[in-house]
Amino acid sequence: MAICAECKSFFSVPDNADDYEPGKGDCLIEEKDEKGKYWLSKATMGDSVAEQCKNFKPKKVS
Amino acid sequence: MAKRAENVQYRGKVVEFPFDNPAEENVPDESLHEHLARPTTERTKRLKARCRWKHAAAGEFVEDNVKGGIERMRLITEAHKQSDGKPEIIRRALGLANILTGTIVLQEDELIVGYHAENPNWIPLYPELSYMAVQDYIQSKYAPQPVEEAKEINNYWTKHSLQGHCQPYFTQEELSQMYQVSTMEAPSFASGYNSIVPPYETVLEDGLLKRIELAEQHIREARTQIAAPYWNADERLQLLSKIDCWEAMIIADKAVISWARRHARMCKLVAEHFETDAQRKEELLMIADICQRVPAEPCKGLRDGMQAKWFTYLLCHAIDRYASGYAHKEDKLLFPYYQISVTEKSFQPMTHQDAVELVECERLKVSEHGAGKSRGYREIFPGSNDLFILTVGGLNSDGTDGCNDMTDAILEAARNIRTTEPSIVFRWHPKGRAQTKKLVFECVRDGLGYPSIKHDGIGTAQMMYYGRFSKNNNGATPEEAHDWANVLCMSPGLVGRRKTQKTRSEGGGSIFPAKIMEITLNNGYDWSYSDMQLGPKTGEISEFKTFEDLWEAYRAQYQYGMSMVIRAKDISRHFEARFLQMPFVSSIDDGCMELGIDAMELSEQPNGWHNPITTIVAANSLVAIKKLIYDEKKYTLEQLDDALHSNWEGFETMQRDFANAPKWGNDDDYADELIKRFYEDIISGEMRKITNYSGGPVMPTGQAVGLYMEVGSRTGPTPDGRYGGAVADDGGISPYMGTDKKGPTAVLKSVSKIDASTQKANLLNQRLSVPIMRSKHGLTIWLAYMKTWYELNIDHVQFNVISTEEMKAAQKEPEKHGDLIVRVSGFSARFVDISTYGQNSIMARTEQTFGAEDYEFLGVNL
Repeated sequence: MAICAECKSFFSVPDNADDYEPGKGDCLIEEKDEKGKYWLSKATMGDSVAEQCKNFKPKKVS
Repeated sequence: MAKRAENVQYRGKVVEFPFDNPAEENVPDESLHEHLARPTTERTKRLKARCRWKHAAAGEFVEDNVKGGIERMRLITEAHKQSDGKPEIIRRALGLANILTGTIVLQEDELIVGYHAENPNWIPLYPELSYMAVQDYIQSKYAPQPVEEAKEINNYWTKHSLQGHCQPYFTQEELSQMYQVSTMEAPSFASGYNSIVPPYETVLEDGLLKRIELAEQHIREARTQIAAPYWNADERLQLLSKIDCWEAMIIADKAVISWARRHARMCKLVAEHFETDAQRKEELLMIADICQRVPAEPCKGLRDGMQAKWFTYLLCHAIDRYASGYAHKEDKLLFPYYQISVTEKSFQPMTHQDAVELVECERLKVSEHGAGKSRGYREIFPGSNDLFILTVGGLNSDGTDGCNDMTDAILEAARNIRTTEPSIVFRWHPKGRAQTKKLVFECVRDGLGYPSIKHDGIGTAQMMYYGRFSKNNNGATPEEAHDWANVLCMSPGLVGRRKTQKTRSEGGGSIFPAKIMEITLNNGYDWSYSDMQLGPKTGEISEFKTFEDLWEAYRAQYQYGMSMVIRAKDISRHFEARFLQMPFVSSIDDGCMELGIDAMELSEQPNGWHNPITTIVAANSLVAIKKLIYDEKKYTLEQLDDALHSNWEGFETMQRDFANAPKWGNDDDYADELIKRFYEDIISGEMRKITNYSGGPVMPTGQAVGLYMEVGSRTGPTPDGRYGGAVADDGGISPYMGTDKKGPTAVLKSVSKIDASTQKANLLNQRLSVPIMRSKHGLTIWLAYMKTWYELNIDHVQFNVISTEEMKAAQKEPEKHGDLIVRVSGFSARFVDISTYGQNSIMARTEQTFGAEDYEFLGVNL
């Protein structure tokens, strides 16, 4: 089952940030429309189920 | 070829009017304004080209993709449910904190970041204010999705919202009368509309970490006092609510810092993982650094100042709750940071042109800011997205000239980028420096419709006057009285670290004298629009044996409406202080911080006002009735009644007589004496008998927004010869369009007869000749006009400098005239986004040209 932490768009919140919580991350998405590019960021927990997320893209394994 | 102004015989010689810029001879009159934009940089050119405008035309958003967002509704509701049982003020802080965990937005090319919804095309909604306003979105094509969830949320707030709390204190009849928006504007508890002047200064000067420290210190002191020996209930029980207030401030400020720093993190992540352009990467890292520091810490340079100001604006006007306006004295606020960055170059070094670019970026941020207003309120601001009015110029608190290089950067940016928002108010004082006044002229001459110009001395004296009524004897000092800005379109209010206006109970909201004239002639009944009793029964028209009978009946109708609208505002304030506290705003106000009192409750400087809109239609009607019925006895009131109920059909000669009766704005003593009495005895005199929440009088701010169209369409035929449904007058003290026939100086003479100190403000629209203003004499003539205007002690003036030819061309081919801007009333609008009904009302305004007599009166040397 896919979870947010496995997604390319998931970036862990640094442990010195005001809003740090273990497992918490930013879901950062790039969007584009006729007016141009923009980015949206919202908080998510890494263990959240991402099965239904239309933006889910697995991170590349290095 | 462009049209030149005609030669004038003046002081024994023929004066010619060649263009100041000879190249303009070859620019067609029909497309002049499409040649005037010159964005300072390629970046602002791109940003303007891709701007996500939120303009509305006839109540509909002009651009596709605009809709209500659901995220804010969801988060405020979730927090409200979870915090049940906690002190209300803490619940409000937790509500804000939860909203600030929502989605944040970054767009390409931006130098100033931050938006207030989960998508840059969307706008947030506020069910905790008015469920009726949200319902308006839910049933429209702009409905937040999923719509069923939005409905459920809105249902939840029916009893918890400000509207839900206030309505029980009115009868159904009273609510119906207010909701007609016919004799009076609907109350803010039903519209969700609000006004605020954020104390930006504390954010920029102190930073929020310092504000948190202050609140913590107050809590420690209060707890020590509570626990000390010799308990005293009167002194100490009040500390409990103060502790809650300071605790709420801390929660709010910490949430804001965290939210700003999320922006920092996003910029850094985009720079590191998405951006490929090296220069933009550097910019993003710079912005990340700024958002990490501000508003947590004091600002150190101009980029800090602009970003901290924008975050504060979003919080106070759009995130914590909705409020219209952009009230601040921007040049004074930012000048210390301009000096650091541009003059000294000691932090965030930049050139003056860089500062201008930054202001252009700010203007474009404002241009794509969306306000979650109902359809009715979108109709009120045709061609615009909301009221955004900033103030510059005037005097400093020590009496020196307040114009500085930041003032010039603000004006240059406005002239260069050509956006309708934000509008600018320039406080005119003889001491104001010439180079800045020339820039004001260039903006006016280029047809922006702003700066709108306010009399510096009148505004400052007014702040002192209101200060006398302070409930805690802490009104404006003589030094503080100089620190004012227009709160919305027209009315001054203090700016600074404390004593600023925080909510709508002080100012804003309208009453409609023309409609009141109509119902006065019908025993309080509105036959032409709502078909209901809108006021008390003050007598049938046949019972007005003398003009004074009619005058007193009008007075009673007006007072009925005024007392109701101010009651509605103060009942709103009562419940705002209990259920709609604003801990973030409180935390940045020195008074709230010192006293531990929420901003919705504390009032140190009264600033009560209300807007009479359509006054001149009523006033001209009284003049016509007095002349033709009571003085000359040419007609009877019964004949007038028949003619009005027939919309003048079959009474054409009578209509012409009433239309040709003396009119305001022609220096005609018959009309002017009666109208002066109307303004001073009724419009102001009756309003000032009311005492509002803050303990001060309420005074009239005559203006119009787009309501002169909307209410005009709801007002039946009137005795000034106007037909039913025609637009009303377009400003608080402007002559009715096309009826000022004696030239620009006659208008000034008429207006100057009203004692400006009896009014809060009065909007004067003037339309000046394009060829004269663009001629080599344009600046000289305009400066002489302004000198005379100031000496006549007139509160306000603003100008349209736009030709009828160009407006007609834009009506034919709107797609070719996107840069054509006009002054509607207290705001400017893109001409092509205004309805034809509204466009025609602007074209009907008298285009004032100047004759030799005018030049002589103004003392111009040509």
